[in-house]
Amino acid sequence: MAKSSSIDLKAVGTKVWDWCDDRLGLEAMREMAAEKTVPVHRHSFWYYWGGISLFLFIVQAFTGLLLLVYYRPGPGAYDSVRAITYDLQFGWFVRSLHSWAANLMVVAVFVHMFSVVFMKAYRRPREFGWWTGLALLGLVLLFGFSGYLLPWDELSYFATAVGLEIPRSIPGIGTLIDNVVQGGPEVSDVTVQRFFALHVFILPLIFLGILGVHLALIMKHGTALPPSEEDKPETERRTIPFFPNFAARDMVMWLITLNVLSILAFLFPWQLGQPADPLAAAPEGIHPEWYFMSQFQVLKVLGEWIPGYAGEVIGIALFTVGGILWGLLPLYDNTRESGARGRRATWFALAALIGLIVLTIWGYAAL
Amino acid sequence: MNYPAWDVPYIGGTWVIATIAIIHVLISHFAVGGGLFLPIAERKALREGRDDWIPLLKRHSRFFLVLTAAGGTVTGVGIWFAIGLANPEGTSALIHNFVFGWAIEWVFFLVEIAAAAVYYYTWGRVSNRVHLQVGWLYAVTSLLTLVIINGILTFMLTPGPGWLEVAGTGQEASRFWQAFFNPTYWPSLLIRTLVCITLAGAYAFVTASLVKGADRAPLKESFARWSARWMIPGFVLLPAALGLYLAVLPPASRDLLLLGVDSAGAGAFTQVTRAVLFAIIGTATIFPIAFLLVWRDARDLKLGHAVAVLALALLVTGATEMAREMLRKPFVVREYMYSNGLRATEVVQGDALDKPYLDSSPWVRPEERQAWAKSSSRSIHHMARGEMMFRGQCMSCHTRDGYRSTRKLLANRDRNGVESILVMLHEQPADSPYNRFMPPLMGTEEEIAALADYLYADSTAARQAYLEEEGLTEPETAPEEQPEETQQPDPLTTLTPDE
Repeated sequence: MAKSSSIDLKAVGTKVWDWCDDRLGLEAMREMAAEKTVPVHRHSFWYYWGGISLFLFIVQAFTGLLLLVYYRPGPGAYDSVRAITYDLQFGWFVRSLHSWAANLMVVAVFVHMFSVVFMKAYRRPREFGWWTGLALLGLVLLFGFSGYLLPWDELSYFATAVGLEIPRSIPGIGTLIDNVVQGGPEVSDVTVQRFFALHVFILPLIFLGILGVHLALIMKHGTALPPSEEDKPETERRTIPFFPNFAARDMVMWLITLNVLSILAFLFPWQLGQPADPLAAAPEGIHPEWYFMSQFQVLKVLGEWIPGYAGEVIGIALFTVGGILWGLLPLYDNTRESGARGRRATWFALAALIGLIVLTIWGYAAL
Repeated sequence: MNYPAWDVPYIGGTWVIATIAIIHVLISHFAVGGGLFLPIAERKALREGRDDWIPLLKRHSRFFLVLTAAGGTVTGVGIWFAIGLANPEGTSALIHNFVFGWAIEWVFFLVEIAAAAVYYYTWGRVSNRVHLQVGWLYAVTSLLTLVIINGILTFMLTPGPGWLEVAGTGQEASRFWQAFFNPTYWPSLLIRTLVCITLAGAYAFVTASLVKGADRAPLKESFARWSARWMIPGFVLLPAALGLYLAVLPPASRDLLLLGVDSAGAGAFTQVTRAVLFAIIGTATIFPIAFLLVWRDARDLKLGHAVAVLALALLVTGATEMAREMLRKPFVVREYMYSNGLRATEVVQGDALDKPYLDSSPWVRPEERQAWAKSSSRSIHHMARGEMMFRGQCMSCHTRDGYRSTRKLLANRDRNGVESILVMLHEQPADSPYNRFMPPLMGTEEEIAALADYLYADSTAARQAYLEEEGLTEPETAPEEQPEETQQPDPLTTLTPDE
């Protein structure tokens, strides 16, 4: 009896699968995923960081939707965040998950980017993967910047005001920032409204489009091999199917990330400072979020060496040139046979990584 | 204040106990779960003729012996050492009530350790039947240690009405069994047993991950997958067991849990909710992680994977133990003894809280008492008296400069603000928000004033040192905005010896 019942269940399962397959093409998708393979070698750990970034984005999208239910942009922003953090059931938890996921996502995207660089995964034919990835990084930073103002407390107000000073020093940009981004000569509740629109609608729309292209390119070109693996004969290389093997390990990394996220949210729940007061003096040691700290420090040091407007313009010019060179890496170091160019690209990336870390630490030490 | 206070800077005695206890819990629960795992695995190997499992089990039993007999024993003694120093009053109360229970536990423990050693050293030296019997002896005695200690641990949270009726009368031992089988005993035993079984599987992953070579892949797969099955009972039954536990919690503990649902504020009081939430998330994820890493990919199980599962188990265990301890707030034995050593049954009587706290302390020299009697409110003797009060009644939970730092908690209060909190703790008005989380404060008006001066001076000193270090100046308050009562002389800058 039990046996026939289990056979029936299997038959029902097959019927459901077939019904969905006819309409969605599931079998074709499953076959495609099973055909895709992921290399297995001693650097495989770094393959998971793209997936971790994606998971953290999903967490933010989900928790962001929950926050949307109670958040009120504009003059009521502070009170609504206060209610979320200190009155609503699990409001603090959702907000902390959202904020910590944002910070962890910046970490994950940076790790992903540098692992791509050091494994030379930007080389032909993956140039567009690199460029869409850089665009996503830029958007992640913009997400962070726009989201930071939304609680409308003292720290977020002054950090945003300081942060907007940086692009304002670009010739011709100041008026644009005042009119379009700030909605007036000062950061105000109008700015909160605009940053909100940017944060919950404009940026996600652009982000999802570019993310789709990025993922499609990964599916098209597959996972890149690091040079050390490329040098091996094909018979010595090991791979596993993307589905279900790699996907299962990806899932483990997601679960571990979820635990890291919840530990951070529980140990350091996000708090709220005093309400923003544009007339008050800026608190001591005001500074932008940690992921802008290196740029902040460069501008600070340049400002001491070359006081005034010139120092800021030189700083902005430096970032622009650095960013362009970074974006052009795949055109400079294009193939396995790049030789000296490949080595120079690696040294450049190493210098950039060390520079970012040192300047960030220096920035905090100098506060 | 019958005992000297143990001053552990920055982390406090609480964290010394917690650190040792969490490691001990992880090892001792493995000892119980592993005690069941080994004979059951050996019996399976013998019945199914799986000879290749035997060397693996021998290796596992060596790992088991070293970890439990060395690590478990050292940390077990460490807990006694730490609780005796950090909370001697509470330790004394437990010993007086459960000396018989502990005696039984130690008998079981001795048999357990001896059986574990015999089990390991007699692999292949005695008949399979005898060897298996030794294994079962180990399993039963280790389980019985849990059965006993669980009664003592749960008693601290829910001593039960039967025992509380006679608490403080000298007749406590007559209600030993009521205290032992207290309201949270069975749910807690169920939870701990499930945790033991889960941990037994998790530890076996380490042994499985060390099996190398393509020819041994089937062995690795069969052992890892069988070990993974040990996680199923926990996965299925732990949510229900947790529900049972929450249902029998005292209402005050449940209120404490619910406080952290609504708010991330309220200082450290919401930590218990956060610890429980992490324990739930960690427990819910450890099972799918084990399924995906171990069951699905058993042949490719690496030491790193096994350690990741164990590390998560360690974190969850730590969070759960922390939550269990915090649920007792503000008691060390609920409704009987507060965390600062005051007995609830005594302090509710008349004006008991107004009596001198330091008068009966053997740790104050007679010349100190004389100096206190003559001291002015700005004297160093007055401060010494305040410090004695701090060590006796605050330091079991607070440190000056680290965990639950009084300097940080009082940083924004003036001298009268500090004293008003202390008076509230002393008088225990019905609407005081502190009643649920903090013990009452005992002492005379002078003693409380001395404590207020000490705490204020200490937090002021810390603040001034910080300002100096940072090159900052204290923000000035306009005289007309300053309430009259805040214009007090700063004890730090006006200290004078009396004589």
